Amino acid sequence: MTVANPRIVTVRQNILKANDHTAAENRAAFAAAGVRTINLASSPGAGKTALLERTLRDLAGQVSMAVAVGDLATENDAARLRQHGAQAEQIVTGTICHLDAAMVQAVLPRFDLAGLEVLFLENVGNLVCPSSYDLGEAARAVLISTTEGEDKPLKYPTMFNTADVVVITKMDLADAVGFDRDLCRENIDRARPGVPVIELSSRSGAGLDAWFAFVRGERA
Amino acid sequence: MHEASIALSLIDVASEVLRENGAARASALTVRVGQWSSVVPEALTAAFPTCAQGTPLEGARLSVVTVPGVGECPVHGRVTLDVTRGLRCPECGAPTPTLLAGDELELDEIELAEPDLEDV
Ligand SMILES: [Zn+2]
Repeated sequence: MTVANPRIVTVRQNILKANDHTAAENRAAFAAAGVRTINLASSPGAGKTALLERTLRDLAGQVSMAVAVGDLATENDAARLRQHGAQAEQIVTGTICHLDAAMVQAVLPRFDLAGLEVLFLENVGNLVCPSSYDLGEAARAVLISTTEGEDKPLKYPTMFNTADVVVITKMDLADAVGFDRDLCRENIDRARPGVPVIELSSRSGAGLDAWFAFVRGERA
Repeated sequence: MHEASIALSLIDVASEVLRENGAARASALTVRVGQWSSVVPEALTAAFPTCAQGTPLEGARLSVVTVPGVGECPVHGRVTLDVTRGLRCPECGAPTPTLLAGDELELDEIELAEPDLEDV
């Protein structure tokens, strides 16, 4: 009589390989069209939409831009962004708390990619889930506001560790909320040694030049 | 939390392995989750049984192996990183920008459920 031995198969495969495959297709499409894509991630309320509004307004006529914005249900953000003359398409994620490469791929036919210089991918407000999902972007910007506390980079190390640039927003409120700039920068550098950091205020306009240079791909 | 999404992707990858091996079901699977992967093992384990219902993975036992972060210090060589302290050598505090291990999210092994063998 024989006993059924369990057969163990060694797999060693990335669980998100399907997403990575789609992300590679997106990246190839962006490269072919010559469009620079920037994935923006932050907590809810960190000022992603405000920064995008300011960017669309200030660079209007200089840089051809559009936005794909991920949101759980409502279409408020896309409507806000369209007021500045740029195309903004909503990606409704339903109960899913992040954009993935397939959601981005599905919305791409709505854009004339070849006519664009920059496509922003505004992720769902969340510092955990978006970090796992490559969208095919050229660069990933992680935003943190002065009102959130300096320890965010150490609480969400993976998100910060995948950033190509970290943007500290709402610098106009830094003094009022007792923001510790040096501690915040030290924590960012712990999560992502050497990452460029841009401090700015979408309201006052301070620091925006460095951000615009990043948007254009002129630095880091 | 995105562990339900991760669980669904895991089930897709595992189902493909089952097909390749001509197996109908799995009895167990092992997943390696890096401490820097942003996936919470407990949440993944909790999400998996519901996501697996009606798939070849239904009823399979999920084990999660947590992989610590490993960096390379210019002075101390390979060092284990503490996620709450960032990418810094625990001995001397030097930046260790490259993660050598600890960001994985992978299906490691599957135990195939064999049909009961007949007496030979
Ligand atoms: Zn050291």
